Amino acid sequence: MNSIKHTILFIVLFSTVQLSGSDQIPAPVQDHPILLKGGIVHTISGDILSNFDLLLVNGKILKIEKNIVPAPDMEVIRVGGKHIFPGFVAGISTIGLTEVSAVRASVDYAETGSLNPNVRANVAYNPDSELIPVARSNGVLTANVTPQSGLIPGQSSLMMLDGWTWENATINHPTALHINWPSMRIDTGKDAKREDAQIEERQKKLKHLDKLIVDARAYAKIHRNPNKQKSRKHDHDLRFESMIPFVLGEKPVFIRANDIRQIEAAVHWADRMELDAVIVGGKDAWRTVDLLKQKNVSVILESILSLPSRRFEDYDQPFKTPYMLYSAGVDFSIGGGGRYGAAFQRNLPYHAAMAAAFGLPVNEALKSITLTAARILGVGNRLGSIEIGKDATLFIADGDPLDIRTQILQCFIQGKKIDMSDRHKMLYEKYRKKYQQLDILK
Amino acid sequence: MKHLILLFLFISISSAQIEPVKGLRENPPRVWFLKNAVIHTEPGNTIENGSVLLRDGIIQAVGASMAVPSDATILDLEGSHLYPGFIESWLPVVSPIVEEENEDIRAHWNPKVRAERNPIDYFHPEKDDVRALHKLGFTSAQLVPEEGIFRGQTSLVQLDADPVGIRNAISQVVAFEYGGWGDPNPPNSLLGCIALIRQTFLDTDWYQKSVKVLEEHPQGNEPISENLTLASLSEASTQKQPFLFWATDENYTLRAMDIADEFELNLWLKGSGYEYRRLAEITDRNPFIILPIDFPGKPDVAHPYRALQYSTAQLRHWDMAPDNYKKLRDEKVSIALTSAELKSKKDFRQHLFRMIERGAAKQDLLASLTTVPAERMGVSDQIGKIEKGFLGNLVVVDGDYFDPDADVRAVWIRGREIPLNPKPASFLAGDWAIILENDSLRFRVSGNPGDQSGEIQVDSSTWKKVHKLVLDDSRLSFTIDLDFLNRPGMYRMAGHMSGEKISGQMYDPSGMMLPFSGIKISEPEITEEESADPELPSSLTTVFPEGAYGLETSPEAPQKIFINDATLWTCAKDGMLKDFDMLVENGKIVRIAQDMTVPAGSVHIIEGKGKHVTPGLIDCHSHMAGLSINEGTQAITAEVRMRDVVDPDDIALYRALAGGLTTMNLLHGSANPIGGQNAVLKLRWGQNAKGLMFDKAPQGIKFALGENVKRSNWDDPTNRYPKTRMGVEQIILDGFKSAVDYKQRWATYHKDSKTRRSKLPPRIDLELEALVEIMEGDRLLHCHSYRQDEIMMLTRIAEKFGFTIATFQHVLEGYKVAERLEEHGAGASTFSDWWAYKFEVIDAIPFNGALMENVGVNVSFNSDSDELARRMNTEGAKGVKYGGLSEEDALNLVTINPARQLKIDTWVGSLEAGKDADFVVWNGHPLSTYTSCDETWIEGKKYFSKEKDIHLRARDSNIRNTLVQKILQDSKSTSGNTEPETEESEPYSCTLHDEVVR
Repeated sequence: MNSIKHTILFIVLFSTVQLSGSDQIPAPVQDHPILLKGGIVHTISGDILSNFDLLLVNGKILKIEKNIVPAPDMEVIRVGGKHIFPGFVAGISTIGLTEVSAVRASVDYAETGSLNPNVRANVAYNPDSELIPVARSNGVLTANVTPQSGLIPGQSSLMMLDGWTWENATINHPTALHINWPSMRIDTGKDAKREDAQIEERQKKLKHLDKLIVDARAYAKIHRNPNKQKSRKHDHDLRFESMIPFVLGEKPVFIRANDIRQIEAAVHWADRMELDAVIVGGKDAWRTVDLLKQKNVSVILESILSLPSRRFEDYDQPFKTPYMLYSAGVDFSIGGGGRYGAAFQRNLPYHAAMAAAFGLPVNEALKSITLTAARILGVGNRLGSIEIGKDATLFIADGDPLDIRTQILQCFIQGKKIDMSDRHKMLYEKYRKKYQQLDILK
Repeated sequence: MKHLILLFLFISISSAQIEPVKGLRENPPRVWFLKNAVIHTEPGNTIENGSVLLRDGIIQAVGASMAVPSDATILDLEGSHLYPGFIESWLPVVSPIVEEENEDIRAHWNPKVRAERNPIDYFHPEKDDVRALHKLGFTSAQLVPEEGIFRGQTSLVQLDADPVGIRNAISQVVAFEYGGWGDPNPPNSLLGCIALIRQTFLDTDWYQKSVKVLEEHPQGNEPISENLTLASLSEASTQKQPFLFWATDENYTLRAMDIADEFELNLWLKGSGYEYRRLAEITDRNPFIILPIDFPGKPDVAHPYRALQYSTAQLRHWDMAPDNYKKLRDEKVSIALTSAELKSKKDFRQHLFRMIERGAAKQDLLASLTTVPAERMGVSDQIGKIEKGFLGNLVVVDGDYFDPDADVRAVWIRGREIPLNPKPASFLAGDWAIILENDSLRFRVSGNPGDQSGEIQVDSSTWKKVHKLVLDDSRLSFTIDLDFLNRPGMYRMAGHMSGEKISGQMYDPSGMMLPFSGIKISEPEITEEESADPELPSSLTTVFPEGAYGLETSPEAPQKIFINDATLWTCAKDGMLKDFDMLVENGKIVRIAQDMTVPAGSVHIIEGKGKHVTPGLIDCHSHMAGLSINEGTQAITAEVRMRDVVDPDDIALYRALAGGLTTMNLLHGSANPIGGQNAVLKLRWGQNAKGLMFDKAPQGIKFALGENVKRSNWDDPTNRYPKTRMGVEQIILDGFKSAVDYKQRWATYHKDSKTRRSKLPPRIDLELEALVEIMEGDRLLHCHSYRQDEIMMLTRIAEKFGFTIATFQHVLEGYKVAERLEEHGAGASTFSDWWAYKFEVIDAIPFNGALMENVGVNVSFNSDSDELARRMNTEGAKGVKYGGLSEEDALNLVTINPARQLKIDTWVGSLEAGKDADFVVWNGHPLSTYTSCDETWIEGKKYFSKEKDIHLRARDSNIRNTLVQKILQDSKSTSGNTEPETEESEPYSCTLHDEVVR
């Protein structure tokens, strides 16, 4: 009668990865309790708990205690002094929307036209993308998948990086409506238009934006009228319809703004339009911390591993911006987008690590890619920390996951034990076989 | 070739002298006696009350007290100054467009190479342009052809309505002109441009030799095709004609100087105004510079955020540019001035005044406008001075030319006066007593001609404005409401002014004419203009490179450095050593041991407790400091060299130093199967391009395979060969086979001396020279590659031609054919974890490095990115994460391994006695993401430290604030703002599929 399933984690990574000949298989819904025994639990929201047990039931964290007694139906995993962290949350991502950025046919994050408030990311999310297991096996377990182009690129969706279909994988939709704030620097390049023409063009865009919000509110008034029968019949408009939750302040608007002029303009605009705004990008956010704090606007810093915006800026400006926001009390998370976005999603923790190397306390660095990110995405009550009642979306690592040398040993998403293999590991194993055949490797 | 000699003197022969006269003849008198002027006969020599006698276009006499010949007409120039006519040393002339099908068949294959061109053949100046030059005092000008690389020859002409040549074919003009990325015509990069210049000089030499051989041995040699450009350049070289290079900034100046040194040219320069930035190197070579004085307008810094768009270098240049001339003159550089490049010619004198306020000597400036260019252009016996026998070219100024209140009133060219800015006959401004019928009125006019206003006194305290006040020559008009005289309605006045009197008619509302007269009773009160403080020279000292983070002095270089009790990562057989000491002397590592005694004398001690010290990091694939990355017009461009396009001012260098990088491999991009020659650099921040070179590093070259050379990811697919991996193999094969043929040709030629005398020499081909060097093992091949098929293919070609590939770059499928790489002996310089950015890297895996290393390949991790180059230490850590390398092996990926790949491991890459003292002091474990770099040393010199960086930040921020204040308060700069320079564009990378192929 030995129904207790024991799995022991080994230090060496590949002994824990059951490499099958096939592609990665999405895990079944958690159908039995899992007990993680004796880990160092990094709760993020609170203390680091040494030698604690975690009980995961039905996709949720049920207990965080010392010495939980295993029950017969439990799968017991002896963590043995390893570290447990909540899964990393990528605040802005294109994962699932693109496979190979140079192959146009595989790019699904940029709809044509400039006003697409109605398009939604999750319907184009490819759960079989090879990029997903690669990001996942380094602890990035959820991602806010975001359309990218035009003045209003569309609506983002928070996805868990495991699932058979996009419907399976969607955690929260919509997370936000996205706006790319028009450029406010005067272009002085060779082919640049005259300065007043540039200003006029920008003002035109912004006027348009204003009108969209006003019209969407008017549209909401008609379509959300409790006395629908009494209101006049009004034909549908997909764009306005899609904007209702955002213009009524039920969901946030994410505004991409990097230059200080953009950030300040966007914050004041959102304030005036009574929108719940979050700044995305935020390269110059450190120049205007008082305003951000005063208006209580959160920032998703897109890339820490990036170059300073201006030649004369400090060489470590992007590295220390998180610390400067933290010191000033500005709410921020780290998105870890940047170059080639999706393919590099796995490096999200190293953006946070660089912030830590340049002043940000380590727990704050971790928070910026877990709890704060989750909160900004509207799922702070479900994700981002290890707390009773939250989703069992977490991973076991053999050390500090912000350090590159650390291995992520096992991930769980809503209690589902995730296939830790990926395309890279499979190809690695395949070609190790080649050299074994050639007697070069053992 | 005698018939091709173009150098001859015009003796003021005008075509008018042989052309039949149309209509009546015009023969104005040509004997003039100009007297009572201050005559500046030449810089430094003035005759106070002198006279000049002009006869038939020539100065016949000049002196203090001269007799007036009976046939001369006297012009009294009381109060005027006379100067020799100025020489405009750079007057660009646009050439007529020649369609491709109309080109001379003897022209050079590249339309940018037209040395035979001479603008005197097509100079038809606009009258207004010439007049603008006259107004500045210019009476002659050097015509400069405007287009291309070898632009053609310059000629000196008189600036007449019917320009007459003074001297033809003075110099050959060369400019660094190239099309942009996407331009199909070569060159489309600075790389290709310089290669073309060098090849053209070699071709000239070959052409000259060949022509000689053909003259002497017409039999047994196939005639060569006549080439106008090469003939013209041969002539220039025989005559030691100057080559006038247009250098658009100080780095271009140094590039031009390098080319001049290589081909032993008589170098002239068209300057840029930036020479002060590399003053020592430039003045060292004692150049002659034709200098524009187009100082920048004011940066628009009123809005603090707009101000952020200006680089510190740009703000500094605004302040320092007006001192450039004086700085050069202080070093005795020979300078001619030009009004070229100025947005408005009117700014020319304004800028001269500013230069004088800042300390430039008037005498120097006058020389730069007269004697210096005359001397250089070989006409110092004809123009540039007011002297007997010289051409009758004069400037008449109603005061000192270098005084802002003086105006140029006339120029004389060939003894003919061209009047300019005539003095107004009388001045309206002042108080007038007016009689209108019985009324006596006071009329007051103020303001400057063209912008005057008038008023009529009503009572002791009120004045009434007149409207529409116009003084057209001597005709005066205005309207006035004379209500206060009980004359309702508007009155219109039409009159005439003559000296101090006005007379005319006043038309009343009914059209009646009333007589009107006036007499001036007082001149306007001269309100003492608040004289602004004189402008002072910039108080800034030049930093290297100019702009933020530039160094004022060379970095600290203690003779001895002692690192005490540090964790030393030797990257050599000793591995990692805890609590060890390291001694550096004279830039070299001397000893590594435990508990050494601190040497006597002055020693710089680095306390190593808690610190880690590693060798300086090495990046085997970088495009930092590359001003130009791809010559993309041809599939084979082995002749282009990255060393020609090094940009020592690239801030990426400083940022990478701050991440512990000390050596980098600057590679050509990946647009071509056979790309250009690389340059290995040390990050000696502050040095010029030459100073960055790792001189001992072997030469190399970049090849590329796959999607980029096939142009697979271009929006508009082109039909350039090759388009498939099949074609890539063939074109490389073709390149090497022709290199074999080429080598054979030279061997035959060198076989015996008789052949060398009587046979045409082979032509030196820079492209094939480089390929021969590869085959002979003298040039390291670094090949951009991704897929296993292409990697294997190139190893087979190399083996066929008997050489070994130094490195495959990127080599993301190297793990699939690691045994082939190992067997061939190539190194692998790869990314730690890049993938999926294009189709050919879909199988890239981060285990690539470890797997190849385990199979026995020498592996390095590179950045190919200005951003990543700042954190190569943690890139190394990915070797631990993916594939389980030891920490020491992981650090080797960015130190000794790339050093071996570049064959510079004798000097760098590890901490061992005898090696260069290139090392990094880290504040923690070098592979940890929490670690940052405290200090970076190269050859025992401290190029970066956090401490120094903080000092530089404070200094630069202070300078920016001071300059912004100065700009906001400035009243001297010419009108018009200077725009912010385009900010940093996305740096290059070989991985980008669009725009730039790296």
